[in-house]
Amino acid sequence: MSRIVWKLLFLCLTLFAVNALAGDPEISIGTSRVAFDRIDMLVQPLDVVSGGTEAQEAAWLIESVIRVDLDYSGFFRALSAEDISDTTRIQYAIEGLLEGRLAGTGVTPQERAPLLTLKLVAYPGRQLLLSKRYRPTWDRLRATAHHFVNELHLFLNNEPGISLTQVVFARGDGERRDIYCLDYDGENLLRLTANRTFNLFPSWSPDKDDVAFMSYREGQQGIYMLHTRTGKVGLVNETVGSNLAPAWHPGGEELLVSLSKVGQHEIYRLKLDGTVIRRLTVSPAIEISPSWSPTGRDVVFTSDRTGTPQLYIMDADGSGRRRLSFEGRYNDAADWSPNGEQIIYACRENNITQIVLIEARGENRRFLTDSSWRNCEDPSWAPDGRHIVFASDRTGVFKLYVMDVRDGTSRQLTFGDESDKTPDWSP
Amino acid sequence: MNRTLMMVSIMLAALFLVVGCGGSDQAPVVDDPTPVDTTPIDPEPVAEEVDTVADEPEPIDYASMAPQEYGIEDVFFAFDEYTLSDEAMATLSAAAGIMRQHGDITYVVEGHCDERGTVEYNLALGEKRAIAVRDFLVSLGIPSSQLRITSYGEERAFASGSNESAWALNRRGHFARP
Repeated sequence: MSRIVWKLLFLCLTLFAVNALAGDPEISIGTSRVAFDRIDMLVQPLDVVSGGTEAQEAAWLIESVIRVDLDYSGFFRALSAEDISDTTRIQYAIEGLLEGRLAGTGVTPQERAPLLTLKLVAYPGRQLLLSKRYRPTWDRLRATAHHFVNELHLFLNNEPGISLTQVVFARGDGERRDIYCLDYDGENLLRLTANRTFNLFPSWSPDKDDVAFMSYREGQQGIYMLHTRTGKVGLVNETVGSNLAPAWHPGGEELLVSLSKVGQHEIYRLKLDGTVIRRLTVSPAIEISPSWSPTGRDVVFTSDRTGTPQLYIMDADGSGRRRLSFEGRYNDAADWSPNGEQIIYACRENNITQIVLIEARGENRRFLTDSSWRNCEDPSWAPDGRHIVFASDRTGVFKLYVMDVRDGTSRQLTFGDESDKTPDWSP
Repeated sequence: MNRTLMMVSIMLAALFLVVGCGGSDQAPVVDDPTPVDTTPIDPEPVAEEVDTVADEPEPIDYASMAPQEYGIEDVFFAFDEYTLSDEAMATLSAAAGIMRQHGDITYVVEGHCDERGTVEYNLALGEKRAIAVRDFLVSLGIPSSQLRITSYGEERAFASGSNESAWALNRRGHFARP
């Protein structure tokens, strides 16, 4: 347990430290939002000034992480000098300088930390747009590269990218299921629970300080909160009956949960101490899987009041219920996009479950996956509103996959024999 | 009890065989100077010891046994359904008879689903199945205080495999110890 606490502490502190160590960017051109799609980005090898083999390997690692981040984002295409025949086509390039500072015994890790400068330049003329100086410890090179790419997104797109995000999910072997966390590129896998029972439906708080989840850790279903800085777990709600997937209000002050304490599943708004703010549904049917709209004004949820599970939207006080899904006999697990315009969900047809995208006003329904994926479940939006993560058993066991909903490209995020389900992409 | 009796008779038979064979083998060996031990072998004390153990009734601790070991059987559901079939009702009627004899034992009714469909809807469906089982048993006079319900949805599957025979085994109301 204490090891997990330390790892978590480390995760948070180092993220903070990278931020703090980042130097003032020298910005020579002030551009606000640039409209673009898949911009070519020349990534030059970093100049290694000193530090020998270790520094050279660090430089290669940083370069490769930057390349993956750029390609993954969907906004950029990472290129090498040899990929470009027509140099007049180059718009932007990333250049870097790494100064390894290896020294003898008695030197602290901070003193040993390499000096790293990463720059964004514009062609023609190699005009300096953005320059960042870092002093990461040797084990924080990946996070530093992710940080620079995030700065790049902020500068060129006026919005953060997803390179600093994480995914939480539930991994199980049939006898137990634990909550895990990993970086959005599949690195830094970390187990967050170890209670030998079933833990499901992890959900990030908007400030990323907490993960709410459902667990049988006290023998019956309850809603729990894991504080990511300390690793401490606290009980939120454990009323008689079912306590299902918690969903955070965008303000971070309350949760939506489906409870069956009155005998059937109804949707409730709970304070973080478990106090009921409001019961939102009244029906003998199953009402589950609530998700807030990004403004907190509306709630999408699942009800089987017509005999089959279908999606509905209601106001945050439970009024104004209207049906969203009319096609498909089995629709569940909706997640509202960050810009509020789209909803993704799981639709089962002919014994196979697929991911569907629909506009929040109910139009333009389209399948994001096909039967080559076998079953796909539990979709969750990335904060960029462009990528989603979901679970698919296309290899025979449920693993997590990321898809760019604009161009349909996908990548496998988790590997191994255990079943990975109910992912939630961090803010 | 039957097993101990059987073991005693086997042991006795073995003893008689040894004693009998020893006697007839030793008789013709006239050159052997070793005096034959004539102390009679008495099998009685062994038999008495075993008898006293076998006579004591062993109390059966039903509370520590899986309900299926003494006749409380699981029931099965149709795809996407939580209503009880005639067969399930017959199984539960038999279970109720046994439960009445063990009024001090609490049972957990677990609702389970096959793997098709979503994790959350299956947890809700599993709970509906557990409630259907509990309500039927209560209608037969089993006090609801003797029955707790929970749902595992598609977790903790009984049969692996993505085919109808595995799915049918996994759509069940399962009786467990608390």
